[in-house]
Amino acid sequence: MVGDASAPKGEEGVGPESHKSYLQKHGYAWGLLVPILLFFIVFNAIPLLWMIGLSFYRYVLTSGMAPVSVGLENYKQLLTANAMWGSFSRTLIFVLLTVIGASLLGGLLGFLFWGSAKMPGRRLALTLLFTPMLLTPVSVGAFYRLMLNPNFGVITYFFGLMTGAREDLLTSPGTAFLTVLLIDVWMWTPFMTLITLAALGSVPSAELEAAKVDRLRWITVLRRVILPHAKFILMLGVLLRTIDAFKTTDQVLLLTSGGPGSSTELLGLRLYRLGFDSLDMGMASTLAVIALFVAIGFTTLYLYVLNLRKQEDA
Amino acid sequence: MATLRRQAYHALLWLIALVFFAPVFWIFLSSLKTTHQLLALTPQIFFAPTTANLVDVVNRPSFTQQFVHSLVMSVIAVTIAIVVAFLAAYSFSRFKPAGSDFLMFLLLSVRMVPAAATIVPLYLMYSAFGWKDNMIGIILFYAMFSIPFSLWILKGFLDGVSQRFDETALMSGAGRLHIMFKIILPQVRPGLIAAFIFNFIFVWNEYLFNYIVGGANTNNVPVGIATGMYSSGGVDWTFIASATTIYMVPIIVMVYFFQRYLLVGMTFGTVRGEV
Repeated sequence: MVGDASAPKGEEGVGPESHKSYLQKHGYAWGLLVPILLFFIVFNAIPLLWMIGLSFYRYVLTSGMAPVSVGLENYKQLLTANAMWGSFSRTLIFVLLTVIGASLLGGLLGFLFWGSAKMPGRRLALTLLFTPMLLTPVSVGAFYRLMLNPNFGVITYFFGLMTGAREDLLTSPGTAFLTVLLIDVWMWTPFMTLITLAALGSVPSAELEAAKVDRLRWITVLRRVILPHAKFILMLGVLLRTIDAFKTTDQVLLLTSGGPGSSTELLGLRLYRLGFDSLDMGMASTLAVIALFVAIGFTTLYLYVLNLRKQEDA
Repeated sequence: MATLRRQAYHALLWLIALVFFAPVFWIFLSSLKTTHQLLALTPQIFFAPTTANLVDVVNRPSFTQQFVHSLVMSVIAVTIAIVVAFLAAYSFSRFKPAGSDFLMFLLLSVRMVPAAATIVPLYLMYSAFGWKDNMIGIILFYAMFSIPFSLWILKGFLDGVSQRFDETALMSGAGRLHIMFKIILPQVRPGLIAAFIFNFIFVWNEYLFNYIVGGANTNNVPVGIATGMYSSGGVDWTFIASATTIYMVPIIVMVYFFQRYLLVGMTFGTVRGEV
């Protein structure tokens, strides 16, 4: 394993302690936590409670009316609204497809780049490969709009050479979602390549050489030698990508603002539109609470996988 | 023959890297074009380059100001976050106070929520407290956003440093602060660098919060790009191209030099491999 999270840990404490040094030690332990707790209370706990509270109120900023308590009305309305289920299922499909796409392609590239240690200019090549995920999503969104412009976009131009017609891929409902999806795959395939390279790096070279000497078939090597070592890092990578895909907002906002109609309106965009286009703080908070529960679910899953790995290491 | 095969293999890898880089390279090329060349019906690959756009962008007071904002906010916010996270990670790693696992879980969960969900309540809070368009308010928000991953990264690294170091130093009479900063801190330097780079990239590229809560005093370049897109004559593509080009240089240079830390950051320190 590459990580050394399970490296030898020292014994607890510093030998026999009097009551006084016990207090000192614990006072010190909590003292170190004061700054993070302050941050947590001001920027997480208070807004979180505020948000949960608001989710039970009707509060639209443009109406100029004070918040009105409506009980569970927002939740009822939200869970019965077609637009909401549309947004949920769209997000689900988007997450599923972008994660599968980026994982397969990124995984493949990771295998290809594995063993290229002697490649000339490797560091530069990898840096160039990583640029899609380093670019500001705003720039990605804005610039792909230019490249996809029906009149002078470079992608539409080459697309037109192949199909014979210059189509506006972003404004026709049939292709907008697919286009947004492909751009996301382009942005995040490098991340999965990075993860795959790390996962493959964790396979002991002695075992690989033994497999080579035994002339095992590559599928056997993959199943018996590589995957047992690499699977946890790969799983963590896929999970992280899933969580991130669930959060996608910025570049889609710039690309299509959720349109045409609502064909590319992912959850993040729906939240943004509710909160800052309609200024419906009550509804936006309700949706945010639901998103928070989904996020807690993801985090739990992530930590579960992480613990599995630690247990196997130990 | 073997060398030929290897050369072909390396050429293929380079080709793949360049394919992924191509759209970014197109942005760079576009920054060297006149509006006329940029909007030509047939994409111009060979053209007489001009640096006029780049010079124009650099000379725009609003852009330089936003660039300075980006830089100041990224550096200060991430530094604050790393200090706060280091103190907490040290406490969690060495003293394991009750509830530390739960707090670490909570902090990570909060970070997994779509940004818009976090921003709704924060927008109301910032409006109520009058923190909108306030540099300190925005820096503290970015620091908060950078704390969870820094904490996870540093906790992982601190767990890897044997407690013997603390004990031996304590035995020989060193103070707690001396142990923390002079003996332990240098040993987790890779974690500090990873946390810094990862969060720096995040804050540098952040758009939504800055757009909603910021203003002329605090707007960063992504907001500048998004709002400066539309000039009098439609979309100002040369501006987008040149601003993006200038803005991506620091990140790309940083990743080139600190590439091996990228992975540690991207996985919150749970994966420690080098690439």
